[in-house]
Amino acid sequence: MANLIIKPLTLVSATASRLRPLFFVIALLLSGGSAFSAERIYQKPSDFIRESLGTIPATRALSLNAGQQKVVRAILGKRYKTSSIRYWSVGKKTAFILEEIGKTEYITTGYLVSGGKISSVKVLVYRETHGWEVGRPSFTKQFRGARLAQGMQLNKGVKNIAGATLSVRALTKLARLALYLETLK
Amino acid sequence: MSEPPPRRRRPARLWHRWLGLAAALPLLWLSLSGILLNHAESIGLNDRQVSAAWILKRYHQLPGGDPRGLRIGDRKVASWDGLTFLDHELVEIPGELIGAVALRDELVIATDERVAILDGSGAMVLDLDELSLPPLPLEAIGVESGRLFLSAGGSHYRFSDDFLSFEKGTFSRSSVALQPLAADDLQELRTAIQTRRAMPLSRVILDAHSGKLFGWPGWLLTDLAALSVIVLTLLGLRLLKRRAS
Repeated sequence: MANLIIKPLTLVSATASRLRPLFFVIALLLSGGSAFSAERIYQKPSDFIRESLGTIPATRALSLNAGQQKVVRAILGKRYKTSSIRYWSVGKKTAFILEEIGKTEYITTGYLVSGGKISSVKVLVYRETHGWEVGRPSFTKQFRGARLAQGMQLNKGVKNIAGATLSVRALTKLARLALYLETLK
Repeated sequence: MSEPPPRRRRPARLWHRWLGLAAALPLLWLSLSGILLNHAESIGLNDRQVSAAWILKRYHQLPGGDPRGLRIGDRKVASWDGLTFLDHELVEIPGELIGAVALRDELVIATDERVAILDGSGAMVLDLDELSLPPLPLEAIGVESGRLFLSAGGSHYRFSDDFLSFEKGTFSRSSVALQPLAADDLQELRTAIQTRRAMPLSRVILDAHSGKLFGWPGWLLTDLAALSVIVLTLLGLRLLKRRAS
């Protein structure tokens, strides 16, 4: 009977002794560590404008009236961050630096529009912890050549990225916004 | 009558037993949270918010350090741990607050890297970044003769009425200074942040599932739990083979 009681205790003790270093390591690791540090800066906005337009022209801004803000709300599903939106223009090319929330943080994106078509898209600052894949050129190149079609939609589809659905939607909405804003200049 | 020989304990069985015991809780959590995440939309996890202080702290949603601010008429502008607030609402401009001024019907808030122009309702009219500002970091903000002035790199810059261009100028008045917040303002701001910066429950569960919520120790624990499944499977197969033979 004594054996029956002592043996499991011995077993527990021996195993605990063997695993003790592991427990210590886990306890030590659990005592610290920070959670999230997500901001990825791909390019400064000024570098995007210089790269896209060859220079940094004077800043201009579109002050959206009530009707135009209504269209913007229809595109984004909400008000844009600001009621005046800056742009930079050289010849037929116009560049916008636009920001939209992916899931919880703003994504800063540069759009170059020319003649009603998107020439290039570049994610400049990505602040979300998930979905940074939208910053890859293999994704953003899908927007090249896109135009506004009926219902303020893009005339071509943009493939989704699994796990980055909200960021993809945000960039697509901003592409539609950039094309709309170009018509207002 | 002699005692039966002591039963030989197989190391594989001991490892299987104790590793299984140690990994049971993390595996249970991974399974449960995995099921919840797969049905997040249908059970409304995206719509529910978590505002517990320790969760918000993990997401860096609760600022640390001492807040400072200033009053512009009846409006309160405050800076706390790199976040800028207007009447307890977060103003989405990055950088450290350097000051704010009232100009015509607008409120101009400047951080060391951005300037936000807000209308009377607090809605942002214009957000100026490095493309439309003097060389960063900005150092001070002020108003003279109805024009906005910003100081940077030891020089003063006078802005046009539409805030889209600027030129070097002379600024003779003193710029605005930030003060520590009064106890009442501080408490109001803390409560407002905790209420308004709640995180979606689905995001919290996803990050707890992957371990990210707890930083790199969480990642490690999740990895260990996953590795334990592999080891348990192999040990189980080995024990099964021995029993069969």
